[in-house]
Amino acid sequence: MIFDPILDLFRGKAITIPPLDGALRPNTALDDAAVVAGLPSPDNLVWLDGRPVCSSGAAVIALEHGHPRQIAEFPAEVTALAVSPEGKLAVATDDGRLSEGGHEVPLPGGIGCITALAYGPDGALWLANGSARHPASGWVADLMEHGSTGSVWRRLPGQEFHKVAGGLAWPNGLLPDPAGVIVSESWKHQLIRIEGSRVTPVLRHLPGYPARLSPSADGCAWLAVFAPRTRLIEFVLQEKHYRTDMMAEVPRDYWIAPALRSGQSFLEPLQCGSIRSMGIHKGWSPSRSYGLVVKLAPDFAPVASLHSRANGHRHGVASVIEAGGQVLIASRGGDAVLSVGGEA
Amino acid sequence: MTPLVQMEKISKAYRGVPAVREVDFDLFPGEIHALLGENGAGKSTLTKMMAGVVDPSGGCILLDGQEVTFASPNAALDAGIAMVFQETSLIPSMTVAQNLYLGTEKFLNRLRGTYISAQQFLQSLNFAVDPTAMVETLGAAKRQMVEIARAVHHKARVIIFDEPTASLTPEEKRHFFALLERLKSSGVAIVFISHALEEALQISDRITILRDGELVSHGATRDYDRDKIIAAMVGRTLSGALYRKRDASSLRKPGRKALSVQDISQGRGVRNTSFSVFEGQITGVFGLIGSGRTETFKIVAGITKRDFLMGGTIELYDRAVRYYTPAEAVADGIVYVTEDRKIEGFFETMSVAENLFGGLLASPQHHGAVVRMSEMRDLAAEWTKKLNVKAINDNARVVELSGGNQQKVVIGKGLVQRPRLVIFDEPTRGVDVAAIAEIHRIVNDLADSGLAVVMISSYLPEVLNLSDRILVCRQGRIVEELSPLEATEEKIMYAAVH
Repeated sequence: MIFDPILDLFRGKAITIPPLDGALRPNTALDDAAVVAGLPSPDNLVWLDGRPVCSSGAAVIALEHGHPRQIAEFPAEVTALAVSPEGKLAVATDDGRLSEGGHEVPLPGGIGCITALAYGPDGALWLANGSARHPASGWVADLMEHGSTGSVWRRLPGQEFHKVAGGLAWPNGLLPDPAGVIVSESWKHQLIRIEGSRVTPVLRHLPGYPARLSPSADGCAWLAVFAPRTRLIEFVLQEKHYRTDMMAEVPRDYWIAPALRSGQSFLEPLQCGSIRSMGIHKGWSPSRSYGLVVKLAPDFAPVASLHSRANGHRHGVASVIEAGGQVLIASRGGDAVLSVGGEA
Repeated sequence: MTPLVQMEKISKAYRGVPAVREVDFDLFPGEIHALLGENGAGKSTLTKMMAGVVDPSGGCILLDGQEVTFASPNAALDAGIAMVFQETSLIPSMTVAQNLYLGTEKFLNRLRGTYISAQQFLQSLNFAVDPTAMVETLGAAKRQMVEIARAVHHKARVIIFDEPTASLTPEEKRHFFALLERLKSSGVAIVFISHALEEALQISDRITILRDGELVSHGATRDYDRDKIIAAMVGRTLSGALYRKRDASSLRKPGRKALSVQDISQGRGVRNTSFSVFEGQITGVFGLIGSGRTETFKIVAGITKRDFLMGGTIELYDRAVRYYTPAEAVADGIVYVTEDRKIEGFFETMSVAENLFGGLLASPQHHGAVVRMSEMRDLAAEWTKKLNVKAINDNARVVELSGGNQQKVVIGKGLVQRPRLVIFDEPTRGVDVAAIAEIHRIVNDLADSGLAVVMISSYLPEVLNLSDRILVCRQGRIVEELSPLEATEEKIMYAAVH
């Protein structure tokens, strides 16, 4: 009705979270998955020289037959990896630097928070810059400030980076195709397609904050969702003064905000949603962290999903890759790289 | 033993079209006699003749061996024959107790005394109905209970139940069957009409099967099984195809999310419920009566409104919608096929063609201000053929059709609007086996053609057989989602109750 926007001023606009149902129906697949390697906070997974490679803190680790071996170390935390068609490893770090094949790449001003890298079929390097105000490790602050200063950049072979789109709410994953690129825009809980100067949503209203995207073996895509949306956090995101005070006075780890892991400290807010009965933490309780991997169809509709529920431990999934009939999953909250069969 | 009621070569024709043809039927004291057949087979007409509601065109009725004719249902009631109708005959503006005692009031009545005695009587039948409640405030199941209680209250020697269990919950059904056993042991003869064949096999002593107004089979229940009954009812075997177990290959994959309901609330009936519906799938919704499933989907279809404050969000194809009238929902491609077809489904005194065309008129699919009769006729011809609606002729009023054909008209009325989301609420309630198979085909075809389909049903085999995903509703919210591959009747019922 045409009066709804006016009525919403009085009744308050409903902020609701889509349910986890249909293809997103909860299961315990991530908790049941085999551990390939235990690593502290594994982040971005790529396939390099026929073996999986993962970033973990400031190190880049190769996973050879389940044995982690450090192949590089950087002065700051690694925030994104990508492998070029020629096999060169591109590495971004939390201090805003980018190296390619071991050589530092000059970056234009405005890039300082590289959250994702990906090479397109034409050899172009796509870069997601999460925020103009915070480094990649400051993602919580950017969310709490309703940041929408992210941008997507592209560098054609032999050329400089140029900005493709700006004003994005924490672009956090890239999946290039011949026509453009699919970008996961975390704070807007959606995937968008950028084609030239046109930006169109392809999947909206996700129940969590989407992270990196990767192609699947059958021509579809994998999406990592690194944290869940909860009603309490949505409420806090509505309350400006409360949020400002919280950010000023409370240590960041204890903000009422999404997290990659939870249940580590008794000082944390939202202690399993206060839902523990007979000593059992209920899987459906609201939690700051969650583990979710979504398989997307070619039209980007979810078709299957893998979960680690509120009472699980494989939370904060940042990256997924599929190769050789295996799906490898980096769980930052679970400190492990997991493996499941190709079929979700 | 002498039959209590005997009908010999009984016939009835409407406008020259025979509904019952020379049927012999007998009923002994202390037996439960199941009368089975498709919709339109003549079961209701046969029993209505027994209860004095319609006059036979031929043959005779013997009561205790004496030939009788009943001028009215009251005359039959006086002779000890009571009928519990499929569509209840209670007076909505009176209380339950007043309805129970209607016709047997004393010269001076004390309302309090009436309520107390009604309360005791209802409790003795294990029916949880408030005797002071106005009948118009009761749901279908409770009205049915009052109707049954009234027949029992009249101390009838013969009680005819026409589809008594269609709107009862499994728990209420158990109480009802126990009541039938009690009546039977006290010598009451019971005629039991039901489309739930398992119930007939479970409760009855003898079975009589009609087809096209003729007697096709009768005998002791122990000589029948489900397949034999169906074969006799429809002249072919249908059972295997109707409720077969699903396998993984037969499940449809979800398409685009058509509907996303998030935290919607409406008073105490719908409480903070969330779910999604996808294109190309049948989403089955199961819940006991009063679980809020119908109310939830009536909000989606704009028939009722969600709470003004904190009412939640409904998104249709990623667009937030809040409907104030059903017309807005129809314009957006949402069709709700009601569970109460007689009240909300069709215009009973209008023809099939007028009803179908009425559906078109209500949608933006119809252009222009002038109604052309040829357009109406063409539309009716197209959809009666598509849905296999069997009517006496094109001008037949919908009220004259059997339950299954009426239901097809209601479905057709929605489908002419070319919807994107179709919500079926109890699509096969009070519909015979052959029509159930056809309605199931229609529902499956809609999902196969890529539409988002919701099917609300209280009949678990139907939910299990038809759905690609099953949502279970309890106390106003969706509490469980199950795949038909893992779901069993026990699992669904557990989620619906606990």
